[in-house]
Amino acid sequence: MASESATDRPVILSLAGLTRTFGTLRAVDGITLDIPDGEFITIVGPSGSGKSTLVRLLAGLEVPTAGTIHLRGVDITQVPANRRPTALVFQSLALFDHRSVGQNIEFAMKMKGVAADVRRARAMELLALVRLPESFYARPVTQCSGGERQRVALARALGSDPEILFFDEPLSAIDYRLRKTLEVELKDLHQRTGKTFVYITHSLEEAMVMSDRIAIMQAGRFVQIGTPAAIYGAPVNRFVASFMGEVNILSVAGDRFVVLDLPVVAKGAHAVLRPEDLRLGHGAAIRLTAMMRHKMMLGSRTQVHFEAGGMTLIAEVPSGEAEPLSAGAMVALSFDPASLAWVPE
Amino acid sequence: MNARTSPGAVYAAPVILFLVLAFAMPIVIVVWYSLMPPRTFDLTLAFTLENYRAAFVDGYGKPLMWSLIGATLTTIACALLAWPTAKALHAHVGRAAAVITALIALPIFISESVRLFGLSVFMMPKGGILAGSLNAAFGIELGSVLNTRLAALLGMIYIHFPFMLFPVLLGVEMIPRDRVEAARDLGANGGQVFREVELPLAMPGLMIGGLLTFVLALGANAEAAILGGRAVTVITAAIDQRFNYGQDWPSGSALTVLVIVVTVIIVLPVLARFDLARLTRR
Repeated sequence: MASESATDRPVILSLAGLTRTFGTLRAVDGITLDIPDGEFITIVGPSGSGKSTLVRLLAGLEVPTAGTIHLRGVDITQVPANRRPTALVFQSLALFDHRSVGQNIEFAMKMKGVAADVRRARAMELLALVRLPESFYARPVTQCSGGERQRVALARALGSDPEILFFDEPLSAIDYRLRKTLEVELKDLHQRTGKTFVYITHSLEEAMVMSDRIAIMQAGRFVQIGTPAAIYGAPVNRFVASFMGEVNILSVAGDRFVVLDLPVVAKGAHAVLRPEDLRLGHGAAIRLTAMMRHKMMLGSRTQVHFEAGGMTLIAEVPSGEAEPLSAGAMVALSFDPASLAWVPE
Repeated sequence: MNARTSPGAVYAAPVILFLVLAFAMPIVIVVWYSLMPPRTFDLTLAFTLENYRAAFVDGYGKPLMWSLIGATLTTIACALLAWPTAKALHAHVGRAAAVITALIALPIFISESVRLFGLSVFMMPKGGILAGSLNAAFGIELGSVLNTRLAALLGMIYIHFPFMLFPVLLGVEMIPRDRVEAARDLGANGGQVFREVELPLAMPGLMIGGLLTFVLALGANAEAAILGGRAVTVITAAIDQRFNYGQDWPSGSALTVLVIVVTVIIVLPVLARFDLARLTRR
């Protein structure tokens, strides 16, 4: 496990041997992690990896089977959710549909007994912070669109003035364009509020955009922790590499690529070849010929799928270069061995 | 079919006819009888308000009051019992919950009188099941609440509890778990979660259960007759007495109309606050 503490800020949340079992299933299996104050850390894992259980443990909605949680050095392992200075943005958002937008945002303040006019003033600030007009204050939550509901949920969580904000895949049910917008806004909000964000997602791509640090989770454990660049540049194993989405993973046996049957100076069990590093023509050191299958226009760049030795290779090339290619044609391809990221196992 | 007749009206006609005959007609007949001269059996056009005057003068206010008090107390007691029961049944889904639900539901299929006589035997002093067993086993001498207003009220709660429980159970099931968790996460304690989230979200079920229990309890008379002895006379018993023993149909009809009016005055504002169509859509 490659751990990095990129910052010298004080630790706000410290997990030690945190474990939660359901029967024989070890959903969270001995997680140890220090989160510095103000960090945006994202936990990435497939469904069933235990990431949701982990965030529920942190929020106090689950009780750990073993291990401890310390907040600024104070043991909060047994402190119930309503007495933790944290707030969770739920995957379902869990907005109070029987209340207005304003009442949702003011909920935590009302629970603390904050006076109505103070609450209202703060709710207005929070509406502005999440870029909703003030007219939304009296609107029923049920009349809000998907993106507006996201913002209300965010404002409601911020309304409790939490030290740490947890996010349990809040953007998973949103369409692509809105998700992109909200990712940027969330990162911006993190910078403006200076609060610690712990974000859960199944999308490494989403994690890459927003996070200071990423932890990859598999079967209740962290497989790799590091900055987005460190994880993208040097995934520790095939699982992490496969999580990177559309990359080519080339297995190696001895000094040859198995499927492509090409010689290589092996530095690990698998090599990750990013689509943008697979070039048209034989300009680079490792050369092959593959059959063109499909191409997908991505704007200025085009993604092209090739077939070589029974495996699919994905290349991303400037759209101008891809234009003459037609399906079924044999195309010369090459890549530079220095551009490969090596995966040890 | 000509263009002016909408097919909807044609297809609805049998149902409308049935509703008119089975539901509207009896009410019309009761109202008509209530306007006939006392102790007559004919429906004529010689309308009089004599029966209503008599209803107010002849001391039917007290039975009506007992009925209203009984129905109110029964509704409150059933609601207080049904909430924790529904929460427990909802929380422990599985065999045990199914068995308990069945045990509560099954008595509905047994005649109310039979159950009340059973309860009466249970409550009887000295020789009753409770007092007799305690006396035989432990030598404890137990008094009895039988033939008191309390016994009648206990019977009312016992009979009407299922009618409250099942709507409340549906109401409790309408509370999404994540809303409760969100409220807790935002700092709400147990009481605040109940007040701010659980109660408003379960309110439709609670209201339907409350209305059902109240209306049924207002019309109940077997509990008072079998368990209450002579301790209390409810309005339904008085109506029954006017129709059967008194053979005064117009007088009984006038009392019936008064009870219907009181019920409507109480029930309509509650119904108006809740949009039943909205409830079923959720």
